[in-house]
Amino acid sequence: MKFTITRERLHEALVAVAASVPTKTTLPVLANILIEAKADGVRISGTDLDIAVSTVVPAEVDGEGAVTVPAKKLLEIVRELPSAAIRLAASGEQRVDLECGRSRFRLLGIPREEFPNFPPVSFKESWSVSSGDLQKLIKHVSFASSTEESRPILNGVLWELRKDVMRMVATNGHRLARMDVPVAGSAQAADLIVPPKALDQVGRLFGPADEVEIAKSDNHLGFRTGSTVVFTRLIEGPYPNYDQVIPKENDRACTVEKDALASALRRVGVVASDQTHRVRLQFSGGTLKLSVSTPDLGEAQDEIAVTFDGDPLEIGFNANYLLEVLKYMPTGEVRLTFKAPERAATVEPVGWDDPAAYLCLVMPLRLVD
Amino acid sequence: MGSPTPPPRILQVDADAFYVQVARLVDPQGAGQAELLLVGGSPEGRGVVTSAAYAARKFGVRSGMPTARALRLCPQATVVGVSRRACSEKSRAIVGVLEQFTPVVEPASIDEMYLDLSGTEGLYGHEALETTARRIRRTVLAETEIQVSIGAGTNRLVAKLAAGRAKPHRTPEADGVVAVPPGQEAAFLATFDLGDIPGVGPRFQERLERYGLKTVRDTLPHERPELEEWFGWRAGSWLYHRIRGMDSTPILPRSQAKSLSRDETFAEDLDDDDALRRELLRLSDRAAHDLRRHGYVARTITVRIRDRDFRDRRASRTLPRGVSTERVIFDEAARLMARLRSARPIPARLLSVSLSQITGADTEEQLGLFDEASDALETERDRRLAEAVDAVRRKFGSNAVERGG
Repeated sequence: MKFTITRERLHEALVAVAASVPTKTTLPVLANILIEAKADGVRISGTDLDIAVSTVVPAEVDGEGAVTVPAKKLLEIVRELPSAAIRLAASGEQRVDLECGRSRFRLLGIPREEFPNFPPVSFKESWSVSSGDLQKLIKHVSFASSTEESRPILNGVLWELRKDVMRMVATNGHRLARMDVPVAGSAQAADLIVPPKALDQVGRLFGPADEVEIAKSDNHLGFRTGSTVVFTRLIEGPYPNYDQVIPKENDRACTVEKDALASALRRVGVVASDQTHRVRLQFSGGTLKLSVSTPDLGEAQDEIAVTFDGDPLEIGFNANYLLEVLKYMPTGEVRLTFKAPERAATVEPVGWDDPAAYLCLVMPLRLVD
Repeated sequence: MGSPTPPPRILQVDADAFYVQVARLVDPQGAGQAELLLVGGSPEGRGVVTSAAYAARKFGVRSGMPTARALRLCPQATVVGVSRRACSEKSRAIVGVLEQFTPVVEPASIDEMYLDLSGTEGLYGHEALETTARRIRRTVLAETEIQVSIGAGTNRLVAKLAAGRAKPHRTPEADGVVAVPPGQEAAFLATFDLGDIPGVGPRFQERLERYGLKTVRDTLPHERPELEEWFGWRAGSWLYHRIRGMDSTPILPRSQAKSLSRDETFAEDLDDDDALRRELLRLSDRAAHDLRRHGYVARTITVRIRDRDFRDRRASRTLPRGVSTERVIFDEAARLMARLRSARPIPARLLSVSLSQITGADTEEQLGLFDEASDALETERDRRLAEAVDAVRRKFGSNAVERGG
């Protein structure tokens, strides 16, 4: 294997792939990236067995072949190299020599045979979606998935594909985000539960103007644009019936400036309990009173102007859950609806100039006093 | 407003060779007479030294060392055991004395307590913090017969390091109290090695040494972005502040326990999964019982195994909500142990179960979207059973009822 490539192209490809390389692993070859030189260019791939990223870059190939090298070291070296041509050559199965100007490196690799195969996903039966739509969904929904291992199904994002709509839903059981984007007549109907880590890569690697090809095997999914492909394992099992928990009878509604509410929550949140982050909200007429009282720490009160319709309401929340949801709201004004102190509240954008529909839910904290 | 806020006044109280002192008080004729005293383990068995008298430490004996090895270093030493109960009682007595000086007393371990005396300047006639510390030291000795060393400063880190310096056996001229005046924190820290800073363990030290960093002084010239690049954002920024003597961790009074753990060092290494399971059952039961006694629930369960070759391995799981009953805690712990055992099935020296993310059982509860649908972790039956067990133990003692393995 022997090829010449510009420092910029190699760096860009390494950065794209490096995010899929695990920082800690029990399988040494996973800390490496696979470099495959073929007549039409060089393919660089990395995987942590859950997701895999692979990208092809143009290079002048003098000899075909493949080898794996430590991803982090190669990236660190290339980052420090001047902007010039880099020559990479494998000597035997285990060594890679790199030259750039007067700098020379030799890295010890691992034979390519030890590198895991990519999931068998065929793009022959693929369908395509707009990367812009996909990114919009990922950006607004992915955050709400769970990071705890107690219910693995909630560690994924549900992606529902229907004839004229794509929907994503994510929840950790305490708060939920759901977004619908209309699409023009997609042929494919599917329910996929995708790890957010893979969606992060998709959001990061593909430009908003790209068309992304999607292909599915039994338990893997592939995303592809021209030169780059992301594979991911799918999470199996039935996703909880989220539709059933979306309240339809909330009869108290509040419209409020998003930033005003967020700053007030952050202010009083300073003295909230580190564990529950509990804030108490009291809605009445045109006022929202926020208060916090934490034993052994202190108290805080604040007040902001809101538009509120319905009977006065006192309700407790984990301030962080509310703040997180507000952060992803795309408009300056938001609408919150409630039914009762122990029932789910909804948060939606107000006056969003976009064909997408966005809804978040937050479950309250039960107040004991 | 009035004058600017005075600097915080933090003390760390550290009992000198605590278990040795307690052993001597419990048995003045036996242990009390032995100069070279080791507490913990036995010459035949394979326990470890819990604490060694300072005279024995001169032979290289350290706590945590297998007792058999300690005896090879110091063959004349007398080995005794001391009851956990006597030590806990003494520890509580010390905390009781300290609470006469300030309500903010945090027991960091059985023999280490932090005190926050901020705001008490007027109460103590604006005397120097060192003077107050000396009076506290005398009072503890008079009321509990336990000798303590005290470090004083403007934060936890400085107070802890100062308490170490205050120990008479370490520094010949030390007399039990070292106070670092406000403003002198950085200069004080500059006299330490990085490994002396609590939180800098052997692994972190290795990484530091790769950059040629061994002492605080070595590290001071490196700016924060550099440290963050080398060691990551969190560790880099942490180190940047620590080596300058900065630490904003608050002192938490004892009502806010952070974790609760129960462990067992076996008389002989255990390799049998059933035997380990029985030990795990006992430990889980004790931990669950103690948790409930304080009216707490815990969300995180951690199992730790120390293998024959002293390698510690742990596995933990965080549950969606707090639990406190034996059944749930044991079931989770058993799954975690099975995972650890299958990863490295070699004989175990020690097993521990710890519970963290602790909150009061009656605090506000985060409601869940899928509560009805999800399998509740603890059933009403689990809770009623636990209450019944607690009632029997209150009446007939803690060994009155146990679960069968």
